[in-house]
Amino acid sequence: MPGGHFAGLSERLRRAGISPRRVRRLISELEAHFEDLVTELRLTGLSHAESESQAAIRLGTEDVLAASIIARPELRSWARRWPWLAFAVLPLLSLAVQFILSMAAAVAIFGFSVHTLEMTPLHPGPVPWICEALQAYALWVAPMVAAAVACYFAARYRASALWPVVGSILIAFLGAHTNASFQWSPALPKGAISAGIGFRFPDIGAAIGFRVLLTLVVILAPFLWARRREGDLRW
Amino acid sequence: MSGVPELLVLRFLSAREMYGYQLAHAIRETTREAISLGEGVLYPALHAMESRGFLRARRRTVSGRTRVYYTITPRGQRRLNELSQEWRRIAGGVESVLAGT
Repeated sequence: MPGGHFAGLSERLRRAGISPRRVRRLISELEAHFEDLVTELRLTGLSHAESESQAAIRLGTEDVLAASIIARPELRSWARRWPWLAFAVLPLLSLAVQFILSMAAAVAIFGFSVHTLEMTPLHPGPVPWICEALQAYALWVAPMVAAAVACYFAARYRASALWPVVGSILIAFLGAHTNASFQWSPALPKGAISAGIGFRFPDIGAAIGFRVLLTLVVILAPFLWARRREGDLRW
Repeated sequence: MSGVPELLVLRFLSAREMYGYQLAHAIRETTREAISLGEGVLYPALHAMESRGFLRARRRTVSGRTRVYYTITPRGQRRLNELSQEWRRIAGGVESVLAGT
């Protein structure tokens, strides 16, 4: 059976909610089975073209194969069974996890610098710079990463655009209203670090609006554009 | 007849591990083509049984070709026993009816 036939089946299965990983395995098994059938039929004296034709009949048409797989709900991915969880709630939680990890990283780097590199307030090494980078990450990059994760997996699982859009908007607003602070100060004897996360409600300033727009424009707009281009923008 | 493919698959895999083509071939040969499963349709059945914990799958490379081999699990063995009993009960009932007519 020509590879293009299975490519069509692969896309149908993914759009029907079968996980990409399972689709890959099913297609590889069908391809191997097809090759075995062709080999078996060739041994009976059929030409290569006849063998391929007979093998395709024995394996089943794309419609039959697709129907038999889609009819089994246990083969559907969990992400398509609970799209609100996979593409909205979990990415939103990943935002909180990124904040926590950023704080943990700041504390760990400070501890390492003090105890291992013997940093002093006069020679703080890269700690102040790292604190600034972590703060910038938490404020600007983390919401975009969380929204990108939601959109990437929604595209990969061929899910409808509804929940990644809802998730990205929530992430953009929550991320924009979050204030992260990672400060190093040259306190004696070894310097000090403070890290904090807080919310600013209902402060809707220009900076917050810009942060919301940044996530939506950089992540959500290309996602919707790409889905529309592929003819798979469904709500 | 809805449980027959499952019964056959579990029965063959209780004897030894097999990949899809081997299984389809064994069913065709052993039943002398009395039971003809769409060969491609075998795979969703195998995957469904695997997700229900009746089968275990593993990749093996033999002679340069990678295959997915299936083997029965203890849970699958229990399911096979249930299906076998059910099948014998039904077959016995049908046999009684045929013998009485």
